[in-house]
Amino acid sequence: MPKHIASGLKYLAAVKLKEAGESHQAIADELGVDRSTVSHYLNGSNLSWNSIDVARTITELTPRDFLIMANAVFKNPEQSRKIVNICKIHVYDADIEDSCIGCGLCVNVCSMKAIKLESLKAHINSVQCCGCQLCKDECPTDSIKILEIK
Amino acid sequence: MIRNLKEVNDNNFDITRSAEEVRNLSFKDHVCIGCGICESTCPVGAISLNEIAIDSRVQLSNNVYFSGHEKIAQNIHEEFDVQRISINEDKCVLCGMCSGLCPVDALVLTIDGVPISEIEAYPHYIAFSEIDDDECVYCKKCEIACPRDAIAIERVLPNRADLVTGEIEVNKDECIYCGVCQELCPAEAIVVDKETGKESIEIDTSKCVYCLVCKKACPTNAIKALCRICSYGEYDIDPAKAVIKGNSVIDSESCVYCGWCEGVCPTDAAKVKKPFEGTLEVDQEKCQACGACIDICKCNALAFPVSTGPGSRLDHIVAQPDYCIKCKACAKACPNGAITVTRTDVDHTPVNSATWIDALNAIKD
Repeated sequence: MPKHIASGLKYLAAVKLKEAGESHQAIADELGVDRSTVSHYLNGSNLSWNSIDVARTITELTPRDFLIMANAVFKNPEQSRKIVNICKIHVYDADIEDSCIGCGLCVNVCSMKAIKLESLKAHINSVQCCGCQLCKDECPTDSIKILEIK
Repeated sequence: MIRNLKEVNDNNFDITRSAEEVRNLSFKDHVCIGCGICESTCPVGAISLNEIAIDSRVQLSNNVYFSGHEKIAQNIHEEFDVQRISINEDKCVLCGMCSGLCPVDALVLTIDGVPISEIEAYPHYIAFSEIDDDECVYCKKCEIACPRDAIAIERVLPNRADLVTGEIEVNKDECIYCGVCQELCPAEAIVVDKETGKESIEIDTSKCVYCLVCKKACPTNAIKALCRICSYGEYDIDPAKAVIKGNSVIDSESCVYCGWCEGVCPTDAAKVKKPFEGTLEVDQEKCQACGACIDICKCNALAFPVSTGPGSRLDHIVAQPDYCIKCKACAKACPNGAITVTRTDVDHTPVNSATWIDALNAIKD
């Protein structure tokens, strides 16, 4: 079953990338599958609608649950990072307060690799942020505010 | 899910976290000066300063006389064997603020093996101690004065023979090989063999300083000698050979920038820049002369008064603000609140983070 869900998530990602105007080859490279598989996905064959439904439900969970499920299904941090980034529904921005001490706990905990330390302060890249708020929970000085901007 | 993995080594507060980057915080008790800046700075309240045997000091203070007290003051830290600070490993988030603000680098945070004192983004105190080899005469006064034994001076003296010049000669016909000259020679330059039938006398001119003691003592006037310097003034001495050479090393781990070396240096070769400026005062009304401050002070900036005779009572403490680094360890250790230290100036490299700037400002008075 996890394999089916993984395929379902890849299907959803492929559709999103196609909507964004990507070529089949680019989509195949991005998702790490054959070009023919992408064509099958986009033609609606080779997948059960049931697994797509399950996958869609997963993407509609809270961002943190989506991320945890993706990590569990793919067992590959890089792959799940890509899928979550493509399939996430909202866009997030982060507000780091001046109370940030630059301890780097958020950098460590971020599965999306969205956080970098610069000048002893955390900076969150909103393109990569999935809104899971794990960093906010980990922050010892409560300096992170994650905002849903779209 | 990626979790933070902390490895804790109880022996010396080695804390390591590894995930994206490896952060390690270590603590060196022998370097720590007990100032407590880390305790007040830690944003998560993970560090506490251990009080070292205050109760026993108060008892001591009622019964303190000169004899043997200095020994007690020196040994009390070892006797109670207490680490100067405790770190709660569960609370510590390895932000490095304690390390960045530690004036003596007793706490060292490394990120991927690089100490933050070498990372530009972190603030660093502007402090140094150095000995200018061009000015130094290798008198070793600083080595003796340094309260941390941080200075090592090595010197190479010129050969005695290079500083004198003269002539010496033994008339073997007149010499009776009595050995008087050998016994009197201050430079051990003469060897006389007195054994019957094997009599001989040798003078080592590389050791002889032409002091003429042998000549004057010889019962048979067998030695002819003269000192050219005494006879003709400066003569034939190569100035290049008469130079004292040497080198000096300051152990940066032990140095606390107290300024004793600069204070005692007769040639202004030692220079010290302290990280903090401020004042140190002892309220003699409140002081019970227990010696807690003297024990905790790593700079010898506090001392008992000079003895005025056997059994004289040590009723006050003498402060020497010039050699104080304004770390405030004494003020924290004093059980009577008799010491006031103010820190008016903290010299550090610039830093961009607001929290770090606040933390640096907070250690000023």
